[in-house]
Amino acid sequence: MTALPRRGVIALIPDDCTSCLICVQECPTWCISLDSHTEQVAEPGARRPRTVSVLDRFTIDFGLCMYCGICVDVCPFDALAWAPDVDYSAASRPGLVQDTGTLASWRIDD
Amino acid sequence: MIEGRTYRVAEAPSLRVQVANLGLACCALEVESAVRMGLLIPEAESDGPAERTVLLVSGTVTEPLVPVVEAAVLSVPGASVMAFGACASTGGPYWDAPTVVNGVDRVAPVDRYVPGCPPRPDALIDALVGRSVVDGGSS
Amino acid sequence: MTTVDAREWAGALSEAASKGYVYLDLLTAVDDGDRIDVIARVLDPSTMDAVMLTTSVASEDPLLPSIVASHPAAAWHERETAEMFGVTFAGHPDPRPLILRSVHERPPLRRSTPLVERLATPWPAAVDPAVERRPRRQQLPPGVRTEWVDQP
Ligand code: SF4
Ligand code: SF4
Repeated sequence: MTALPRRGVIALIPDDCTSCLICVQECPTWCISLDSHTEQVAEPGARRPRTVSVLDRFTIDFGLCMYCGICVDVCPFDALAWAPDVDYSAASRPGLVQDTGTLASWRIDD
Repeated sequence: MIEGRTYRVAEAPSLRVQVANLGLACCALEVESAVRMGLLIPEAESDGPAERTVLLVSGTVTEPLVPVVEAAVLSVPGASVMAFGACASTGGPYWDAPTVVNGVDRVAPVDRYVPGCPPRPDALIDALVGRSVVDGGSS
Repeated sequence: MTTVDAREWAGALSEAASKGYVYLDLLTAVDDGDRIDVIARVLDPSTMDAVMLTTSVASEDPLLPSIVASHPAAAWHERETAEMFGVTFAGHPDPRPLILRSVHERPPLRRSTPLVERLATPWPAAVDPAVERRPRRQQLPPGVRTEWVDQP
Protein backbone atom coordinates (compact mmCIF):
# COMPACT_ATOMS: atom_id res chain seq x y z
CA MET A 1 0.00 0.00 0.00
CA THR A 2 1.52 3.33 -1.06
CA ALA A 3 1.14 6.36 1.14
CA LEU A 4 -1.24 8.75 -0.54
CA PRO A 5 -1.81 12.40 0.32
CA ARG A 6 -4.78 12.36 2.67
CA ARG A 7 -7.57 14.76 3.08
CA GLY A 8 -8.73 14.99 6.68
CA VAL A 9 -11.34 17.08 8.42
CA ILE A 10 -11.43 20.77 9.29
CA ALA A 11 -10.64 21.70 12.89
CA LEU A 12 -11.11 24.96 14.77
CA ILE A 13 -8.80 26.73 17.20
CA PRO A 14 -11.49 28.67 19.11
CA ASP A 15 -9.06 31.01 20.87
CA ASP A 16 -7.76 32.28 17.54
CA CYS A 17 -11.21 32.91 16.06
CA THR A 18 -12.32 36.54 16.07
CA SER A 19 -15.85 35.76 14.83
CA CYS A 20 -15.15 37.87 11.75
CA LEU A 21 -17.48 35.64 9.67
CA ILE A 22 -15.21 35.65 6.63
CA CYS A 23 -15.26 31.85 6.44
CA VAL A 24 -19.06 31.83 6.86
CA GLN A 25 -19.43 34.24 3.94
CA GLU A 26 -17.02 32.42 1.67
CA CYS A 27 -18.23 28.84 2.18
CA PRO A 28 -19.87 27.67 -1.07
CA THR A 29 -22.21 25.23 0.64
CA TRP A 30 -23.11 27.51 3.55
CA CYS A 31 -22.05 24.78 5.97
CA ILE A 32 -20.44 27.06 8.61
CA SER A 33 -22.44 28.98 11.22
CA LEU A 34 -21.33 30.91 14.24
CA ASP A 35 -22.83 32.89 17.10
CA SER A 36 -20.89 35.59 18.89
CA HIS A 37 -21.38 38.60 21.12
CA THR A 38 -19.26 41.65 21.89
CA GLU A 39 -17.71 42.55 25.21
CA GLN A 40 -15.92 45.63 26.47
CA VAL A 41 -12.45 44.92 27.75
CA ALA A 42 -10.75 47.53 29.90
CA GLU A 43 -7.04 47.64 29.27
CA PRO A 44 -4.62 49.17 31.72
CA GLY A 45 -3.33 52.45 30.36
CA ALA A 46 -5.97 52.70 27.63
CA ARG A 47 -8.42 55.61 27.82
CA ARG A 48 -11.42 53.63 26.55
CA PRO A 49 -12.33 49.97 26.85
CA ARG A 50 -11.74 47.87 23.77
CA THR A 51 -14.66 46.07 22.08
CA VAL A 52 -13.92 42.44 21.36
CA SER A 53 -15.99 39.68 19.79
CA VAL A 54 -16.48 36.58 21.86
CA LEU A 55 -17.27 33.35 20.07
CA ASP A 56 -20.28 31.54 21.54
CA ARG A 57 -20.73 28.68 19.12
CA PHE A 58 -19.07 27.58 15.89
CA THR A 59 -20.51 24.71 13.83
CA ILE A 60 -19.55 22.99 10.62
CA ASP A 61 -22.17 20.84 8.95
CA PHE A 62 -20.03 18.08 7.49
CA GLY A 63 -23.10 16.72 5.76
CA LEU A 64 -22.84 19.66 3.39
CA CYS A 65 -19.09 20.32 3.49
CA MET A 66 -17.25 19.46 0.30
CA TYR A 67 -13.85 19.78 1.94
CA CYS A 68 -12.76 22.48 -0.51
CA GLY A 69 -10.63 24.16 2.19
CA ILE A 70 -11.65 27.69 1.21
CA CYS A 71 -12.41 28.50 4.87
CA VAL A 72 -8.96 27.31 5.92
CA ASP A 73 -7.39 29.51 3.24
CA VAL A 74 -9.41 32.67 3.88
CA CYS A 75 -9.22 32.77 7.68
CA PRO A 76 -6.98 35.76 8.42
CA PHE A 77 -6.18 34.39 11.86
CA ASP A 78 -5.38 30.77 10.98
CA ALA A 79 -8.15 29.64 13.29
CA LEU A 80 -9.18 26.82 10.94
CA ALA A 81 -6.84 24.01 10.00
CA TRP A 82 -6.80 20.54 8.50
CA ALA A 83 -6.75 17.66 10.97
CA PRO A 84 -5.85 14.14 9.87
CA ASP A 85 -9.00 12.44 11.23
CA VAL A 86 -11.39 10.76 8.82
CA ASP A 87 -14.95 11.81 8.09
CA TYR A 88 -17.20 10.91 11.03
CA SER A 89 -20.32 9.05 10.20
CA ALA A 90 -23.50 9.44 12.22
CA ALA A 91 -26.72 7.56 12.78
CA SER A 92 -28.80 10.67 12.18
CA ARG A 93 -28.62 13.68 9.90
CA PRO A 94 -28.06 16.20 12.76
CA GLY A 95 -25.17 14.02 13.93
CA LEU A 96 -23.14 15.31 10.98
CA VAL A 97 -23.09 18.84 12.44
CA GLN A 98 -20.00 19.28 14.62
CA ASP A 99 -19.79 22.08 17.13
CA THR A 100 -17.02 24.03 18.83
CA GLY A 101 -15.98 21.35 21.30
CA THR A 102 -15.58 18.59 18.71
CA LEU A 103 -13.97 20.87 16.13
CA ALA A 104 -11.46 22.00 18.74
CA SER A 105 -10.71 18.44 19.88
CA TRP A 106 -9.25 17.32 16.56
CA ARG A 107 -5.49 17.13 16.37
CA ILE A 108 -4.14 19.53 13.80
CA ASP A 109 -1.58 18.61 11.13
CA ASP A 110 1.83 20.12 11.67
CA MET B 1 -31.85 -5.95 -9.27
CA ILE B 2 -28.75 -4.51 -7.61
CA GLU B 3 -26.01 -7.01 -6.97
CA GLY B 4 -24.14 -7.19 -3.72
CA ARG B 5 -20.56 -8.28 -3.18
CA THR B 6 -19.30 -9.78 0.01
CA TYR B 7 -16.20 -8.39 1.67
CA ARG B 8 -14.26 -9.22 4.77
CA VAL B 9 -13.27 -6.15 6.76
CA ALA B 10 -9.48 -6.34 7.11
CA GLU B 11 -9.31 -4.82 10.57
CA ALA B 12 -12.20 -6.92 11.89
CA PRO B 13 -11.70 -10.23 10.03
CA SER B 14 -14.75 -11.86 11.60
CA LEU B 15 -16.93 -9.20 9.97
CA ARG B 16 -18.24 -10.22 6.55
CA VAL B 17 -20.47 -7.64 4.94
CA GLN B 18 -22.37 -7.75 1.71
CA VAL B 19 -22.19 -4.33 0.05
CA ALA B 20 -24.74 -3.44 -2.60
CA ASN B 21 -23.20 -0.34 -4.09
CA LEU B 22 -25.78 1.87 -5.74
CA GLY B 23 -23.21 4.07 -7.43
CA LEU B 24 -24.84 7.26 -8.65
CA ALA B 25 -21.78 9.52 -8.96
CA CYS B 26 -18.13 9.96 -7.98
CA CYS B 27 -18.48 8.47 -4.47
CA ALA B 28 -19.17 5.07 -6.03
CA LEU B 29 -15.44 4.58 -6.59
CA GLU B 30 -14.54 4.53 -2.91
CA VAL B 31 -15.49 0.88 -2.37
CA GLU B 32 -12.93 -0.09 -4.98
CA SER B 33 -10.39 2.26 -3.32
CA ALA B 34 -10.99 0.49 -0.03
CA VAL B 35 -10.29 -2.82 -1.76
CA ARG B 36 -7.12 -1.48 -3.38
CA MET B 37 -5.94 -0.13 -0.05
CA GLY B 38 -6.46 -3.54 1.50
CA LEU B 39 -9.18 -2.31 3.87
CA LEU B 40 -11.82 -4.57 2.33
CA ILE B 41 -11.06 -8.06 1.12
CA PRO B 42 -13.39 -9.46 -1.55
CA GLU B 43 -14.79 -12.87 -0.65
CA ALA B 44 -15.79 -15.71 -2.94
CA GLU B 45 -19.46 -16.67 -3.08
CA SER B 46 -18.55 -20.13 -1.87
CA ASP B 47 -17.47 -18.62 1.46
CA GLY B 48 -21.13 -18.56 2.46
CA PRO B 49 -23.62 -15.81 3.23
CA ALA B 50 -22.57 -12.51 4.78
CA GLU B 51 -23.70 -11.46 8.24
CA ARG B 52 -25.43 -8.38 6.98
CA THR B 53 -26.14 -6.43 3.85
CA VAL B 54 -25.56 -2.74 3.39
CA LEU B 55 -27.16 -0.78 0.59
CA LEU B 56 -24.57 1.88 -0.08
CA VAL B 57 -26.13 4.85 -1.82
CA SER B 58 -23.00 6.50 -3.16
CA GLY B 59 -23.49 9.65 -5.17
CA THR B 60 -26.06 12.22 -6.14
CA VAL B 61 -29.75 11.35 -6.00
CA THR B 62 -31.36 13.30 -8.82
CA GLU B 63 -35.08 13.62 -9.27
CA PRO B 64 -35.33 11.20 -12.23
CA LEU B 65 -33.39 8.59 -10.25
CA VAL B 66 -35.85 8.45 -7.36
CA PRO B 67 -37.70 5.39 -8.78
CA VAL B 68 -34.34 3.64 -9.22
CA VAL B 69 -33.39 4.28 -5.60
CA GLU B 70 -36.79 3.07 -4.42
CA ALA B 71 -36.47 -0.11 -6.47
CA ALA B 72 -32.95 -0.71 -5.16
CA VAL B 73 -34.15 -0.42 -1.56
CA LEU B 74 -36.90 -2.97 -2.23
CA SER B 75 -34.49 -5.32 -4.00
CA VAL B 76 -32.30 -5.84 -0.92
CA PRO B 77 -34.83 -6.45 1.86
CA GLY B 78 -33.36 -6.24 5.32
CA ALA B 79 -30.36 -4.24 4.20
CA SER B 80 -29.30 -1.23 6.19
CA VAL B 81 -29.16 1.89 4.08
CA MET B 82 -26.00 3.95 4.16
CA ALA B 83 -25.99 7.48 2.74
CA PHE B 84 -22.40 7.56 1.54
CA GLY B 85 -21.00 11.02 0.90
CA ALA B 86 -22.28 14.59 1.00
CA CYS B 87 -24.59 14.17 -1.98
CA ALA B 88 -26.37 11.10 -0.63
CA SER B 89 -26.51 12.64 2.86
CA THR B 90 -27.79 16.14 2.06
CA GLY B 91 -27.44 16.97 -1.63
CA GLY B 92 -23.91 18.14 -0.83
CA PRO B 93 -22.40 20.57 -3.33
CA TYR B 94 -25.66 20.42 -5.30
CA TRP B 95 -27.88 21.38 -2.36
CA ASP B 96 -29.39 24.27 -4.33
CA ALA B 97 -29.85 22.48 -7.67
CA PRO B 98 -33.48 22.27 -8.77
CA THR B 99 -33.09 18.70 -10.02
CA VAL B 100 -31.24 17.20 -7.04
CA VAL B 101 -32.94 15.47 -4.10
CA ASN B 102 -31.31 16.75 -0.91
CA GLY B 103 -30.41 13.43 0.60
CA VAL B 104 -31.48 9.82 0.07
CA ASP B 105 -33.39 10.04 3.37
CA ARG B 106 -36.08 11.91 1.43
CA VAL B 107 -36.66 8.64 -0.43
CA ALA B 108 -35.96 5.90 2.13
CA PRO B 109 -34.98 5.72 5.82
CA VAL B 110 -31.21 5.92 6.31
CA ASP B 111 -29.34 3.97 8.99
CA ARG B 112 -25.99 5.69 8.68
CA TYR B 113 -24.78 8.93 7.15
CA VAL B 114 -21.16 9.25 6.01
CA PRO B 115 -19.91 12.77 5.29
CA GLY B 116 -17.15 13.58 2.81
CA CYS B 117 -16.94 14.64 -0.80
CA PRO B 118 -16.04 11.89 -1.31
CA PRO B 119 -15.58 10.18 2.07
CA ARG B 120 -12.20 8.59 2.48
CA PRO B 121 -12.10 4.80 2.15
CA ASP B 122 -11.24 4.61 5.86
CA ALA B 123 -14.49 6.44 6.57
CA LEU B 124 -16.33 3.62 4.82
CA ILE B 125 -14.67 1.12 7.15
CA ASP B 126 -15.49 3.26 10.21
CA ALA B 127 -19.11 3.38 9.10
CA LEU B 128 -19.27 -0.35 8.36
CA VAL B 129 -17.93 -1.32 11.77
CA GLY B 130 -20.17 1.34 13.36
CA ARG B 131 -17.33 3.35 14.82
CA SER B 132 -18.32 6.89 15.47
CA VAL B 133 -16.24 9.07 17.73
CA VAL B 134 -18.54 12.03 17.90
CA ASP B 135 -21.89 10.38 17.44
CA GLY B 136 -22.76 9.92 21.09
CA GLY B 137 -21.55 6.35 20.85
CA SER B 138 -24.42 5.03 18.74
CA SER B 139 -22.42 2.17 17.37
CA MET C 1 -17.31 29.54 -34.20
CA THR C 2 -19.73 30.47 -36.95
CA THR C 3 -22.77 32.55 -36.06
CA VAL C 4 -25.82 31.97 -38.19
CA ASP C 5 -29.27 33.50 -38.28
CA ALA C 6 -31.95 31.45 -36.51
CA ARG C 7 -33.84 31.12 -39.81
CA GLU C 8 -30.77 29.52 -41.39
CA TRP C 9 -30.00 27.21 -38.47
CA ALA C 10 -31.32 23.94 -39.93
CA GLY C 11 -29.94 24.82 -43.38
CA ALA C 12 -26.47 25.55 -42.00
CA LEU C 13 -26.40 22.24 -40.14
CA SER C 14 -27.57 20.22 -43.12
CA GLU C 15 -24.96 21.95 -45.26
CA ALA C 16 -22.32 21.00 -42.70
CA ALA C 17 -23.57 17.40 -42.82
CA SER C 18 -23.31 17.37 -46.62
CA LYS C 19 -19.65 18.43 -46.22
CA GLY C 20 -18.96 15.46 -43.98
CA TYR C 21 -19.72 16.97 -40.54
CA VAL C 22 -22.26 14.28 -39.83
CA TYR C 23 -21.38 13.50 -36.20
CA LEU C 24 -23.04 15.66 -33.57
CA ASP C 25 -20.67 16.18 -30.65
CA LEU C 26 -22.86 18.46 -28.57
CA LEU C 27 -25.82 20.76 -28.68
CA THR C 28 -26.64 23.02 -25.78
CA ALA C 29 -27.66 26.56 -24.91
CA VAL C 30 -26.40 29.58 -22.97
CA ASP C 31 -28.78 32.08 -21.37
CA ASP C 32 -27.60 35.59 -22.24
CA GLY C 33 -30.50 37.42 -20.62
CA ASP C 34 -32.70 38.74 -23.41
CA ARG C 35 -31.52 36.08 -25.82
CA ILE C 36 -30.66 32.41 -25.69
CA ASP C 37 -27.65 31.22 -27.68
CA VAL C 38 -27.86 27.69 -28.99
CA ILE C 39 -24.56 26.02 -29.85
CA ALA C 40 -23.85 22.91 -31.87
CA ARG C 41 -20.48 21.23 -32.42
CA VAL C 42 -20.29 18.80 -35.30
CA LEU C 43 -17.45 16.54 -36.41
CA ASP C 44 -16.24 14.95 -39.60
CA PRO C 45 -15.47 11.41 -38.38
CA SER C 46 -13.01 10.75 -41.21
CA THR C 47 -10.74 13.66 -40.24
CA MET C 48 -12.00 14.45 -36.70
CA ASP C 49 -12.23 18.10 -37.78
CA ALA C 50 -14.90 19.96 -35.85
CA VAL C 51 -16.94 23.07 -36.46
CA MET C 52 -19.00 25.04 -33.98
CA LEU C 53 -22.16 26.78 -35.03
CA THR C 54 -24.18 29.14 -32.91
CA THR C 55 -27.39 31.08 -33.25
CA SER C 56 -29.54 33.30 -31.04
CA VAL C 57 -33.22 33.30 -30.29
CA ALA C 58 -35.24 35.75 -28.19
CA SER C 59 -35.66 34.49 -24.63
CA GLU C 60 -39.27 35.65 -24.63
CA ASP C 61 -40.30 33.02 -27.18
CA PRO C 62 -37.29 30.90 -28.10
CA LEU C 63 -38.15 28.95 -31.21
CA LEU C 64 -35.70 27.13 -33.47
CA PRO C 65 -36.06 24.46 -36.15
CA SER C 66 -34.95 20.99 -35.09
CA ILE C 67 -31.78 19.63 -36.72
CA VAL C 68 -32.72 15.99 -36.15
CA ALA C 69 -33.16 15.50 -39.92
CA SER C 70 -29.48 16.19 -40.61
CA HIS C 71 -28.09 15.07 -37.23
CA PRO C 72 -30.27 12.36 -35.62
CA ALA C 73 -28.13 12.41 -32.45
CA ALA C 74 -29.49 15.90 -31.75
CA ALA C 75 -32.80 14.34 -30.71
CA TRP C 76 -31.85 13.90 -27.03
CA HIS C 77 -29.79 17.10 -26.88
CA GLU C 78 -32.73 19.12 -28.18
CA ARG C 79 -35.09 17.48 -25.69
CA GLU C 80 -32.72 18.35 -22.86
CA THR C 81 -32.19 21.91 -24.11
CA ALA C 82 -35.96 22.27 -24.41
CA GLU C 83 -36.69 21.24 -20.82
CA MET C 84 -33.70 23.03 -19.28
CA PHE C 85 -33.78 26.32 -21.25
CA GLY C 86 -37.34 26.42 -22.56
CA VAL C 87 -36.30 26.44 -26.23
CA THR C 88 -38.89 24.94 -28.60
CA PHE C 89 -37.41 22.90 -31.43
CA ALA C 90 -39.97 22.99 -34.24
CA GLY C 91 -40.37 19.74 -36.10
CA HIS C 92 -38.77 17.56 -33.41
CA PRO C 93 -40.05 14.00 -33.95
CA ASP C 94 -40.48 13.25 -30.22
CA PRO C 95 -40.48 16.36 -28.04
CA ARG C 96 -41.10 14.65 -24.67
CA PRO C 97 -38.98 15.85 -21.71
CA LEU C 98 -35.77 13.81 -21.56
CA ILE C 99 -34.62 13.97 -17.94
CA LEU C 100 -37.01 15.91 -15.75
CA ARG C 101 -39.90 13.99 -14.23
CA SER C 102 -41.81 16.57 -12.24
CA VAL C 103 -43.20 19.69 -13.82
CA HIS C 104 -40.95 22.70 -13.30
CA GLU C 105 -42.77 25.99 -13.49
CA ARG C 106 -39.86 27.58 -15.31
CA PRO C 107 -36.96 26.01 -17.19
CA PRO C 108 -34.41 25.28 -14.44
CA LEU C 109 -31.31 26.55 -16.27
CA ARG C 110 -32.67 29.98 -17.19
CA ARG C 111 -31.04 32.75 -15.16
CA SER C 112 -34.42 34.23 -14.35
CA THR C 113 -35.51 30.96 -12.72
CA PRO C 114 -34.90 31.23 -8.98
CA LEU C 115 -32.91 28.57 -7.19
CA VAL C 116 -35.65 27.87 -4.69
CA GLU C 117 -33.41 26.23 -2.08
CA ARG C 118 -30.99 29.16 -2.14
CA LEU C 119 -33.84 31.59 -1.60
CA ALA C 120 -35.43 29.54 1.16
CA THR C 121 -32.26 28.71 3.11
CA PRO C 122 -31.12 31.35 5.59
CA TRP C 123 -27.61 32.50 4.70
CA PRO C 124 -25.49 31.93 7.84
CA ALA C 125 -23.43 35.08 7.17
CA ALA C 126 -26.53 37.29 7.35
CA VAL C 127 -25.86 37.65 11.11
CA ASP C 128 -22.90 39.89 10.27
CA PRO C 129 -23.70 43.49 11.32
CA ALA C 130 -21.72 44.65 8.27
CA VAL C 131 -24.15 42.74 6.06
CA GLU C 132 -27.14 44.12 7.96
CA ARG C 133 -25.94 47.70 7.38
CA ARG C 134 -25.84 47.29 3.60
CA PRO C 135 -28.75 48.39 1.39
CA ARG C 136 -31.33 45.61 1.20
CA ARG C 137 -30.38 44.43 -2.28
CA GLN C 138 -26.73 44.06 -1.30
CA GLN C 139 -27.71 41.94 1.68
CA LEU C 140 -28.57 39.11 -0.69
CA PRO C 141 -26.43 36.00 -0.30
CA PRO C 142 -24.03 35.03 -3.07
CA GLY C 143 -25.80 33.29 -5.91
CA VAL C 144 -29.14 34.97 -5.27
CA ARG C 145 -30.11 37.35 -8.09
CA THR C 146 -32.02 40.49 -7.25
CA GLU C 147 -34.53 39.73 -10.03
CA TRP C 148 -35.58 36.58 -8.14
CA VAL C 149 -36.44 38.60 -5.09
CA ASP C 150 -38.14 41.40 -7.03
CA GLN C 151 -40.24 38.95 -9.04
CA PRO C 152 -43.92 38.70 -8.12
S1 SF4 D 1 -12.47 33.35 9.18
FE1 SF4 D 1 -11.28 32.56 10.95
S2 SF4 D 1 -11.42 34.19 12.51
FE2 SF4 D 1 -13.00 34.63 10.96
S3 SF4 D 1 -14.87 33.64 11.80
FE3 SF4 D 1 -13.91 32.13 10.43
S4 SF4 D 1 -12.58 30.88 11.80
FE4 SF4 D 1 -13.11 32.77 12.94
S1 SF4 E 1 -20.34 13.84 -2.42
FE1 SF4 E 1 -18.77 14.77 -3.77
S2 SF4 E 1 -17.54 13.03 -4.51
FE2 SF4 E 1 -19.50 12.19 -3.72
S3 SF4 E 1 -20.89 12.06 -5.46
FE3 SF4 E 1 -21.24 14.07 -4.49
S4 SF4 E 1 -19.88 15.49 -5.60
FE4 SF4 E 1 -19.15 13.40 -6.05
